[in-house]
Amino acid sequence: MKTLIAQAAEPSLWSPEWLPLLPKRLVENLLEHFNAPGWLVSIGGIAAGAATVLAVFMTAFALLSLIERKTLARAQNRIGPNRAGPFGILQPVADGIKMLTKEDIVPAKAEKLLHLLAPILIVIPAIMALGVLPYGREWTPVPLELGLLFFFALGALTEVSVFIAGWASGSKFPMLGAMRAISQMVSYELPLVLSAIAVIMVSGTLSLPEIVAHQGGYHLGFLPAWHILTPWGLVGGLVFFIASIGEANRCPFDLPEGESEIVAGHMTEYSGFKYALFFMGEYLGLFAISGLGVTLFLGGWQAPFPGLGFVPSWIWFFAKLAAVIFLFLWIRATFPRLRMDQLMRFGWLALIPMSLLTIPAAGIWTLLHRAGHGLIAWVVTIALLVVPFVIMTVLFNRGLARSNRTYRFAES
Amino acid sequence: MTALLILSPLIMLAALGAVWKARPVHAGLLLALTLSLAGMLYIALGAEFLGLVQFMVYVGAVAVLIVFALLITRPRDEIEEIARRPKSVGPGLLCTLPLLATLLYTVDRTLPEAPPGTADLPVRRIGELLFTTHAPAVLAVAILLTAVMLGAALFAREPSKKP
Repeated sequence: MKTLIAQAAEPSLWSPEWLPLLPKRLVENLLEHFNAPGWLVSIGGIAAGAATVLAVFMTAFALLSLIERKTLARAQNRIGPNRAGPFGILQPVADGIKMLTKEDIVPAKAEKLLHLLAPILIVIPAIMALGVLPYGREWTPVPLELGLLFFFALGALTEVSVFIAGWASGSKFPMLGAMRAISQMVSYELPLVLSAIAVIMVSGTLSLPEIVAHQGGYHLGFLPAWHILTPWGLVGGLVFFIASIGEANRCPFDLPEGESEIVAGHMTEYSGFKYALFFMGEYLGLFAISGLGVTLFLGGWQAPFPGLGFVPSWIWFFAKLAAVIFLFLWIRATFPRLRMDQLMRFGWLALIPMSLLTIPAAGIWTLLHRAGHGLIAWVVTIALLVVPFVIMTVLFNRGLARSNRTYRFAES
Repeated sequence: MTALLILSPLIMLAALGAVWKARPVHAGLLLALTLSLAGMLYIALGAEFLGLVQFMVYVGAVAVLIVFALLITRPRDEIEEIARRPKSVGPGLLCTLPLLATLLYTVDRTLPEAPPGTADLPVRRIGELLFTTHAPAVLAVAILLTAVMLGAALFAREPSKKP
């Protein structure tokens, strides 16, 4: 059975489409060559596959930490890191050495075990989430049937570990940061999941590779059938990406770590390698959630134009991922940090209603398309989304104009 | 079966710890551990959908909110709680043992009679069942939860100051 599948689907060991799977297959072939038992072969294959994903994203993490500083520097008319190596390219290495050689401080009032556990618990779900994304036509490290649900279940673990980090530090800034982080993550997870529900309804599956496969093909011969190019998908995708910035605690939603307000939030009492783990968990989580957004709304590994099929599909995935992350950097360079009440109001009064609207829109879209009324589907869903949006915007602005911010706790 | 044998003692230990720990936050975190271990047990027994939903709802929302609420309680309650504990063991056992016996009896009697073909239920089928056959029950639970939420909001609201 296994060899049958392998023969049917393996054109060549060295074809670019299969390149990311090369380590896995090399290890498997090597073990089989030495007549290793079947379980050892499968374990070796899994380990090599996981190592490939980890190697890719660790490199991406190191590069992103440099690119982020460079981009922000250019946005602020500076040069950015330029001392370590040409164009500062060795800056991540220098940062890594600095982090590893720093003293590991555990506060006297901290809960020792939980203080140690928190950074580990924050990295594990981020890495696990990277395992279920479909990176290419042939490259899904763990093709789960319930991949999407698995992804969101892992998000739950992140919340717990942020709380543990904040509480176990035994100090007030981490506690405040954790409280902010949890209220933000709980509020911004809702629009995230709700906008994903529209995608589940239309594609009729929870499996991420199948959701990508559903976005294959082109409308009118040139317009890719990605979900973001439909009315409900545009709204859902925008809500998803905004909420994912909130979920990843990035600027302008970086209140849990607002340096000018609460030092570094739940990471205040961490130093050395544990701090590096938090940093890594945050970036891997950012990759994971942007990768999920690319998968759900931007067509995953599908090529943007017909006739580009000769490019390996995983290149498209990483190009889209890079574009999304660059957008996040751009947003970080542009917007100032929100206030806590603004953040909550935006989440509950703007993102959640819009994401709720995408659900009936997706339902109507599917039913009308099934009945063969494609044009009517466009008109109805656009009307269903735009009219409430305009009404909401008017009400929102009026409410903002009238409300006079009172500092309830600062005054008394 | 191996998963059941490994996980169920762990679940029980975590649950006991959740009841026994002196500091409420520890108890809350152990409750989260209990719930996530139960989720893992579901996954190991083949109920992936249930297990993942357990993670998402119970660990991600319920346990976090419980821990969060515990933070706001005053430490004084904690000390009283510790002082009260030894006296509460007897009545507690008295209440729980009959319940446990009843549960064991019922589970033991009904378990072999589970209808065939329910072992491997695809998610699509679960969804269809929930939103067709059991739709009234789902709606009733939804209304109940909304009512609970409104009630909680009413309780949590600050009492308006009288002039």
